[in-house]
Amino acid sequence: MIGNDIVDLSIAAKESNWARTGYLEKIFTTAERFHIQVAKDPQIMVWLMWTMKEAAYKAYSRETKFRTFAPTLICCNNLILHDETASGDLFYEGKVFYSQSSIAQNYIHTIASEKASVLKDINPKISDYNEFDNSYRSTHPASVSHHGHYLALIYL
Amino acid sequence: MDREKLIAKLKEIVAPYTHDKEALAKINQTTDFINDLKINSANLVDVILDVEEEFDIEIDNLEMAKMLNVNETVTIIESKLKALDRE
Repeated sequence: MIGNDIVDLSIAAKESNWARTGYLEKIFTTAERFHIQVAKDPQIMVWLMWTMKEAAYKAYSRETKFRTFAPTLICCNNLILHDETASGDLFYEGKVFYSQSSIAQNYIHTIASEKASVLKDINPKISDYNEFDNSYRSTHPASVSHHGHYLALIYL
Repeated sequence: MDREKLIAKLKEIVAPYTHDKEALAKINQTTDFINDLKINSANLVDVILDVEEEFDIEIDNLEMAKMLNVNETVTIIESKLKALDRE
């Protein structure tokens, strides 16, 4: 199973104040908060690790159909950050999920799967999101994410 | 505080993060924060922090994990207030 998550950085900056007291503690482990603290761009690190966790959670919950909101239990590991991409893995409910992210000027997008081999063949389709246009549903994407101006679709 | 009052307070708390105002107007125990109110999951954290501030309670991560809808959230607030003898 595969999961994906996109964050529109301009909307995130407007709608989410991650510097709010107590906010990061509810989402990130101590080790992850250290990464944010020392990051060159803390905002990018926050939303990068957030999309990693969301993508892994979606990959997991698609299979189990189990809904929960426990971001601190999904732990980011082995994060390697380049200018426009990142990779890593996440540990959740005894499983390891591999993640691959793209860091664009206006968005961060991550895909996650238990199968590392699946990730390299995937071409995420990122387009403008229109809340009145549901036609993408009939194309049967394996995973859907939308936030702000962006719609991200994954086809296997 | 009775359940209706709690839901009314919760309605005020979730309002700024809600993207479906019609669903907000019809808020009830079965209302789901993400599926019905279209609250962004990053804003769920704000809802939890606002609940903590409003009711002067602390919500741990296990409790937060369940707070995806009105019923669970109100149940957790009630049990916290009861434990603190502030019903």
